[in-house]
Amino acid sequence: MSVGTRPRGRRAATPASRPPAAPAYLSGAASVAVRPALEAPRRPARVLAAFPLALYLEIRSEAEPHVVAVVTGEATRLPNAVLLAERLDGVSAGDDAWVGEGSVEVGGVSIRVRRWWDPAPPLGPADPVRLAPALGLLGRARAASPRRPGLDPDGAPALLERGCRAGSLVESITAAERLIGLGPGLTPSGDDMLAGLLVALRHLGAAAGVPRAVWLADWLAAAVTYDARTRTTPISATLLHCAARGEASPEVTGVLRGVAGHQPLEPAVHRLLRLGHTSGADLAWGVQIGLSAVLAHREGQ
Amino acid sequence: MTLSMLYGEPRVITVGAQVLGEALDRQAVPRREVDWRPPMAGSSAALARVLADPRRESANATAVGRMLSARPMLTAVRPAREVLGLRAGEFFHAGPPITWERASGPMRGALVGASLFEGLAATPEEAEERLASGAGITLDSCHHHRTVGPMAGVVSPSMWMLEVADAERGGTAYCSLNEGLGKVLRYGAYGPEVIERLRWMGEVLGPVLAAALERCGPLDLRALVAQALQMGDELHNRNRAATSLLVREIAPAVVEAAPDRAAEVLRFINGNDHFFLNAGMAAAKVSADAARGVPGSSLVVAMARNGTDFGIQVSGLGDRWFTGPAGVPDGLYLGGYGPDDANPDIGDSTITETTGLGGFAMAAAPAIVRFVGGEVSDAVAATTSMYEITMAEHPAYQIPGLGFRGTPAGIDVALVARTGLLPVVNTGIAGRIAGTGQVGAGLVSPPAEAFTAALDALADG
Amino acid sequence: MNDPVNDLVEVRPGVYRDSVTLMRVSRSLTDRPGVTVAVVAMATELNLGLARDLGFAVPPATPGDLLVAVRAASPEELKAAAAELERQLAARAPASGARGEAAPPRTTRSAARAFEASLALVSVPGEHAFAEALDAVEAGLSVMIFSDNMPVEQEILLKDRARDKGVLVMGPDCGTAVVGGAGLGFANVLRPGPVGVVAASGTGAQQVTSLLDLAGVGVSHVLGVGGRDLSAEVGGRSAVRALRALDEDPATGLIVLVSKPPAPEVARAVRDLDPATPVVAALLGPGQDDLTTAAEKVLRALGRDVPEWPSWPAPANRADAADASAPRHAKPSGGERGGTAARGGAGGALRGLYAGGTLCAEAALVAGAGEFTDFGDDSYTRGRAHPMIDPALRLEALRGVASGVVLMDVVLGHGADPDPSSWLAPAIREAVARGVDVVVAVVGTDGDPQGLRAQAARLNEAGAAVFTSNAAAARHARLLAGP
Repeated sequence: MSVGTRPRGRRAATPASRPPAAPAYLSGAASVAVRPALEAPRRPARVLAAFPLALYLEIRSEAEPHVVAVVTGEATRLPNAVLLAERLDGVSAGDDAWVGEGSVEVGGVSIRVRRWWDPAPPLGPADPVRLAPALGLLGRARAASPRRPGLDPDGAPALLERGCRAGSLVESITAAERLIGLGPGLTPSGDDMLAGLLVALRHLGAAAGVPRAVWLADWLAAAVTYDARTRTTPISATLLHCAARGEASPEVTGVLRGVAGHQPLEPAVHRLLRLGHTSGADLAWGVQIGLSAVLAHREGQ
Repeated sequence: MTLSMLYGEPRVITVGAQVLGEALDRQAVPRREVDWRPPMAGSSAALARVLADPRRESANATAVGRMLSARPMLTAVRPAREVLGLRAGEFFHAGPPITWERASGPMRGALVGASLFEGLAATPEEAEERLASGAGITLDSCHHHRTVGPMAGVVSPSMWMLEVADAERGGTAYCSLNEGLGKVLRYGAYGPEVIERLRWMGEVLGPVLAAALERCGPLDLRALVAQALQMGDELHNRNRAATSLLVREIAPAVVEAAPDRAAEVLRFINGNDHFFLNAGMAAAKVSADAARGVPGSSLVVAMARNGTDFGIQVSGLGDRWFTGPAGVPDGLYLGGYGPDDANPDIGDSTITETTGLGGFAMAAAPAIVRFVGGEVSDAVAATTSMYEITMAEHPAYQIPGLGFRGTPAGIDVALVARTGLLPVVNTGIAGRIAGTGQVGAGLVSPPAEAFTAALDALADG
Repeated sequence: MNDPVNDLVEVRPGVYRDSVTLMRVSRSLTDRPGVTVAVVAMATELNLGLARDLGFAVPPATPGDLLVAVRAASPEELKAAAAELERQLAARAPASGARGEAAPPRTTRSAARAFEASLALVSVPGEHAFAEALDAVEAGLSVMIFSDNMPVEQEILLKDRARDKGVLVMGPDCGTAVVGGAGLGFANVLRPGPVGVVAASGTGAQQVTSLLDLAGVGVSHVLGVGGRDLSAEVGGRSAVRALRALDEDPATGLIVLVSKPPAPEVARAVRDLDPATPVVAALLGPGQDDLTTAAEKVLRALGRDVPEWPSWPAPANRADAADASAPRHAKPSGGERGGTAARGGAGGALRGLYAGGTLCAEAALVAGAGEFTDFGDDSYTRGRAHPMIDPALRLEALRGVASGVVLMDVVLGHGADPDPSSWLAPAIREAVARGVDVVVAVVGTDGDPQGLRAQAARLNEAGAAVFTSNAAAARHARLLAGP
């Protein structure tokens, strides 16, 4: 049995009579989205990428999530993240790791989870009357922000918006397939946009009582996750799987809560827009398309 | 009812058992730990009653709001006889009320000097005799008369006073003119050169300044203090920038008002880095007085010493003084003087600390950090610790080195008792023997019992 | 005779550490070879008296000073103990304060100015808790008051101020809360889920939520309100606010109210709330459901299956207690009476040695007879830490039982002892060897730092019958004790 973390510099919390455990134990919090990976038998993994505030581990497994993020400090709590109170130093891309049987082992430490959060918190009912003004506010905040999305608005994004608003599966799925993996970086712009769209359709559709939006989310989710692993980066593929289930980082769920009228929308949008180089702007764009589709289908009801 | 803590990331302040905080660390919950310690001995019961007073929160907001929104303007320079109604034989002094019997060396020296200056006696011995007998002599605290005075703070009818008005709420406050350093009355010196200087100040300096102010109009002291803080003054032990700014403001008017006296007046002001102190003290006094008399408020509106007692007054407790023995400052000594030569703490200049300047603004004055231990980090530590016992941050007085954070302002008696942190007070050190003058400068700690006694009174009220 | 040469007695003015921390330091010094006794404590009258009774020459001190009194067998061992003491005190010094770093805040008020918090956790001694809690409320923060011994008028005042500020006061004497997944005080590692809990009883809430977690059902939030909240005097001020808040929380689909039966007028006020979210009441008392039954009701209300609550029967051959068996599952308590066969010792008197107050009361109700002691009661915790942290008194009591049946609880989770079986298992083994039947209720989850199954297995190997349901444990103990 492990005794839990001894944050650096507080080692003396161990009673003197009990020597510290041989491998260093750390503990933190995690999204319940990674619970299946942690509760599974111990499997090998490798470090895909290592940044000062985040590590990405790819598990050798067919099951999702197959990428787990280990984040610290002010890094974004991705829906596939394990959160630590302190940084993990000395880990590089390509290092071996293990995930399963309750822990993540990387860089000589064994990480256990002592708190779980829900990356898809239920939104509760949203007053439909508030949704239209929220769409306007979201659009204005995006337009006023220096943070721009990574994609040209014409082409696939325009087609996606048209298809979603019209409820056309052919158009929206065609657009989605063109968007998967489109753009540079660990999480390509097209994927971020689709992720924003998927969570917005699912949560706002349910909150505003628009089953057609949830139906669209189901179909798009199936299409996007079907071959995500072969179409985009491993990290992005896992995040798309998360988004397909309505799971997102708190910055995204904060905007959804704002749209639903449960918290101030504008600061939430600005928090989202600040994420990454273009990720926040791409996600916000996707959320806006989702919201506009929910409104369109609500009118059609 | 929406409870905001149910949504979003938990972020926790922990105070108490470390084991509970460490359990949160293991859950990667962001938290801030309070370095809690028990309150001052014997203050628990009074604290509970004072904190439970339903008037406290809004009373304190009102009181400190008045203190911080005051707009002190230097409006005039006039004789004490005229503005304070002082008559021959009446003297005001620094700190809480005191008798000749209990007065310390420098306080006695200053009273002797003032008696000589007013012509009540021909020799120091005669003056002492008369003061000791009390015949025709009245002593009272400056603070009882909208007045403050540095060190001994003795005010006599013929002295000229700076008049400062609060443009926000209309109060006025007074402070004498600064005599300069060395052998001066406020440090208890009463030699012929001291009396001669006082005469010159009454005959030349006061009238010239009065005429100059009439020309250049009221001077915005709040703006001047704010600028001086950004130029390295803390406005108690360092007034160099403020004095320079003052000279710059009034010099043309001085030249216009008294062309043949201007040079000596300006040379006198210029030769005294502390000339502004008295104007700053009057500004602080008018601000602190604006905060007086708010029932239920635990805000300190005066801290003052008479060389024997250190006293405080509290907004919600009227004009009562709460006192303890004045301590001997810990500091740097001039020439061959040492701690044995030092008098216990004296003067009304702690009115600067009362309003968030002086020791509270040490971080603004790296040039004088020797007083607080030698390094800039000590000055920063002194200022930051004062945020623990103050109600607010001054909206106009800012400290560049702390990211233009407002100075810690508005001492709360309850916070002093809770944290055990006493106000950091910068001060000059007077010689113990009457007539010696200044022997050094440094830091002093107020007596804790002044604060616990005030707390008890609030609890009873 | 005490040789003063081997005594170290010191008063350190103005040095403060909290009592749990100092208790740990004292214990680790006492555990050192050659150290006869060590008292490292704040210099309260109580602690000064204790040191004097031990024969130390104690100098005058105030409660704001740290008292150090160590006695060793030799000067060398005393010196080594003193060095260890310095090391431990230095390691436990409050964070920062170093030159150049921002000094740590000295009050909750000051902390709230510099740190964007969502709530405050107050565990200073009870007489000082009001100031810190009021700071939090005035700063617009909800606050959990772990401290006990707060006067009721302060509690009422705080809760009224909290109403004006739109925040919640949890406590005083609130042992457990889970907010946004974060376990505060004594709390289990629970998965997120639809059940919101309003708890006037800490260990009661831990039992219900741990069982739900074992059944795969998680919680949205567990909001403690303090044991006195539902009294007529406090009038359920916090319970009502907590119920309303959970009713509005979209993540909460069902609310459980865990409490002793409330004062009638308070029960009426709670009923009058009429929340839109269904409420299951777990009101412990004669004629009421036990906590396990309440948890099962919650599962049924959510349309979930009621599992068999894990249990580990005592090894068949008590002489070979180390031969542990795999966990067995008790039947749901609803229909079961005596499903677990009574066996083993000759029966006899039933002694309940509890750390959790509500668990103790529940066990006493279910068992019907026996002598039950709640070691978490104020009269046992004055001047020492809670039995969930400091096992000394319970161990002593267990060692004093010569025959019959002993029923105990072990509460796992954040804040609790990091490895309770390490001290309890040997004592159980001795008790079993004396012919005592030991039954243990382990309240915890698979996610808890101590590991529910590992702890249960070790206690079971030592010879105890182990249950995850306290009610099932009490029923089993009653059967063992016989008529």
